[in-house]
Amino acid sequence: MTAAPLLQVRSISKRFGGVQAVSDLSFELRRGEILGLLGPNGAGKTTAFNMVAGAIAPDTGEIVFEGQPITGLRPAQICRRGIGRTFQLSKPFGSLSVLENVMVGGFARSRDRRAIRREAEAILDFLGMGELAHADANDVTAFDRRKLELGRALATQPKLLLMDEVVAGATPSEAQEMVGLVRRVRERGVTILIVEHVMKVIMGLSDRVIVLDYGKLIADGVPAEVVAQPDVLKAYFGERYAGARA
Amino acid sequence: MQSPRQSRLGAAILLAVAVLAVLLPWIVQDSYFIHTVIMVLYFAYMATAWNFVCGYVGQLSLGHSVFSGVAGYVTVLLFIQTGLSPWLGMLAGGAVAALLAVAIGFPTFRLKGPYFTLTTIAFAEILRIWFENTDTFLGIPLKGAEGLVVPLIGDSWAAFQFNGKTAYYYIVLAMLALAMAATAWMERSRLGYYLKAIRGDSDAAESLGVSPTRYSLIALCISAFMTGIGGAFFAQFFRYINPERNMGIDLSIDMAVMAIVGGQGTVFGPALGALLLHPVAEVMRSWFGGGVLGLHLVVYGVVLILAVTYLPKGIIDPLSRLIGRGRKRKEQP
Amino acid sequence: MDPLILFFALVNGLLVGGIYGGIALGLSLIFGVLRVINFAHGSFLMLAMYGAYLLWSVFGIHPYVAPVIIVPALFALGYAVQAWIIAPLFRRERAMVVEPISALLVTTGVYLVVDNLVLMAFGPDVRAVSVDIAQESFFLLGLPVNVARLIGCVAAVLLAWGLALWLRRSDLGRSIRATAQNRDAATLSGVNVPFIYNITFALGCAVLGVFGSLLVAFLPVTPTTGLSFGIKSFLVVVLGGIGSIPGSIVGGLLLGVFESVASQFVTATSAAMFSFGLFIAVLLFKPSGLLGARVAKR
Repeated sequence: MTAAPLLQVRSISKRFGGVQAVSDLSFELRRGEILGLLGPNGAGKTTAFNMVAGAIAPDTGEIVFEGQPITGLRPAQICRRGIGRTFQLSKPFGSLSVLENVMVGGFARSRDRRAIRREAEAILDFLGMGELAHADANDVTAFDRRKLELGRALATQPKLLLMDEVVAGATPSEAQEMVGLVRRVRERGVTILIVEHVMKVIMGLSDRVIVLDYGKLIADGVPAEVVAQPDVLKAYFGERYAGARA
Repeated sequence: MQSPRQSRLGAAILLAVAVLAVLLPWIVQDSYFIHTVIMVLYFAYMATAWNFVCGYVGQLSLGHSVFSGVAGYVTVLLFIQTGLSPWLGMLAGGAVAALLAVAIGFPTFRLKGPYFTLTTIAFAEILRIWFENTDTFLGIPLKGAEGLVVPLIGDSWAAFQFNGKTAYYYIVLAMLALAMAATAWMERSRLGYYLKAIRGDSDAAESLGVSPTRYSLIALCISAFMTGIGGAFFAQFFRYINPERNMGIDLSIDMAVMAIVGGQGTVFGPALGALLLHPVAEVMRSWFGGGVLGLHLVVYGVVLILAVTYLPKGIIDPLSRLIGRGRKRKEQP
Repeated sequence: MDPLILFFALVNGLLVGGIYGGIALGLSLIFGVLRVINFAHGSFLMLAMYGAYLLWSVFGIHPYVAPVIIVPALFALGYAVQAWIIAPLFRRERAMVVEPISALLVTTGVYLVVDNLVLMAFGPDVRAVSVDIAQESFFLLGLPVNVARLIGCVAAVLLAWGLALWLRRSDLGRSIRATAQNRDAATLSGVNVPFIYNITFALGCAVLGVFGSLLVAFLPVTPTTGLSFGIKSFLVVVLGGIGSIPGSIVGGLLLGVFESVASQFVTATSAAMFSFGLFIAVLLFKPSGLLGARVAKR
């Protein structure tokens, strides 16, 4: 028995002025997967990502989550439906402590401040940031801010988590830590869609990957297979290397 | 974490101030002094009301006096035309101000930074100019720039008129206490967290389930309601209301400057700002008489520049660090 | 409504509007380069007007000669304000970009200080210069055209054109435009950005020196004149597009005509309400103005 996919993206497109950023993109996400979204710069990954997150409305097509259409919903509504996201360049909420930052997400699910606080403390422990709980959110390191991003999103108890470039700028050991965290998040039952440039990370982490090039889907499959496909090699390395094997 | 001794010191200071405030009219009987303190409390209240939204969501409104003016007019008109007690009239005025806040806030919150500020000024000026140029509206006399005088009834609770200043003093003191309590409650509530999140990063807040417009509007409505009640009090205290005094840009700027100099985004900052700045104005006025108009505003201007440049978190920041209460709202168990 | 009267209102509106545009030039330039909204813009204009008035009443200097003294004085004042009062805000922010609200608050402080110092020095009375040119009109197509206003309008157009030309051709002008477009790149190219900020602010105020003198020839001045012109300048700049020099003139013309025509139907003070309404409408529906490039929305 195959379970219905958690997320179904059907033929979405987006045009900005003269540029067709995403065209006729369709893919599915099954419950409990980690799906990697790949592609060279300008391929339309961020646009596609933002359409699922509700930050941009698609020109065509529809997006269905848990059987319900969510196309064109605002980010706040998308969050309530159970989709969380991280931002690559987000600022922490400066006038709040690290713990309070995470609590903001918790208010999306509950009004009980004490319960939200306990949940937030648990999330910080999960992230290995327990001692930073009362630190000024502006004063933490860049990597800790990345983890805080993740913590805030986790506090909203998402069923699907959209992660945007979570290891960009991280040292190898930080990247390893983040990979471990992402795996453990999935173990807690969260489905993950991840956009990432660092090949090693995304290939190792994803159950499945999809590759975009010039706004179109050019590959969809298991990492090992996708990476050998000529189209994918051409997209990343150009015509001359299309025949090369990984 | 703050040491227990420091928290107790803060609480002790607060208690001492509160006791002093309650006993003041018995200690000092001078009418002029009490009048001045009433004005300090009034400005502290107005600055606290302004701070409820602007200090937390991080937008600068310089048109807040419109709420004070509109509510004041509603209260006074209801009293003059129908004899409705200003106690009830105030609530009606505050409600009208809150509705106005929705009408103004809904389009304006879409704007950023200085454009938001300029738009609040524009809305306030539109209404003030309308009031100034309108003699009667739907048959109700507004008397334009001349303003309305509240008829003297004499000592009467229902009519919100009292002989002597003492009753007014306790009323405005209670109002201030309530406004500060409301702010403290808000800080610990979902609204407070959401406002600070919106201020920090509106897009990130949205993706965490916060609708920025909705929560900004909620805060603005509450702030407008409080400001309106303050305006109604002012009108009743002086038994006079006109567009310049109650709806002018000067009042808007005063509210904002006091809250900012004292410390935005805190419970006690705005009151502290009023406590520091208003007496300066009074002193300037009494030392130099009417001959040197505007000197106190020069002082306000200089203080504002210094505060924004060197003490952006307000005067309460170094003060509270001294006492150890800590400006940051740490999570309380 | 007599079409002749309407036409007269239109012409008058264009003349006055041109002057509004000239006054707003500095505001637009300062925002375009520093991203600072100068709440004290009108205050500086008022200082120029009072300065020209003083030169006339004490030394008998004609307002049209006054710019010789007033313009450098305002240049120096603008430079000082930027270098000593606003620059500390830039230094505080590591990225050399000021949080817009802080700059607005500081310039509001400057407005409070300047407007009230003027009030203290001159009192609330109206001061007026009386020179013959204020009365002179000539007839164009049967309509009286006030010479003083015409001179002001022409000066505005010439100054705008000259300023735009200078910004394009001169080295300093190029540095200013570079800073306006991309501050970091300008720094990397060797532009001394803090100095450019000072010069630009000074220039914006110096322009006001010209118009303050020209205005006082036919317009009386009071301590509230500053705020009212300051607010009009904001309207102009929003209408025409902030950061755009031709936009400033176009916005000014629009506002001038709008006010002039509106005051044929309602009182002048009521017409101000509609100007504000227009301001709000433009900000909400076409925030980049008619010629500008910046967008105001979240």
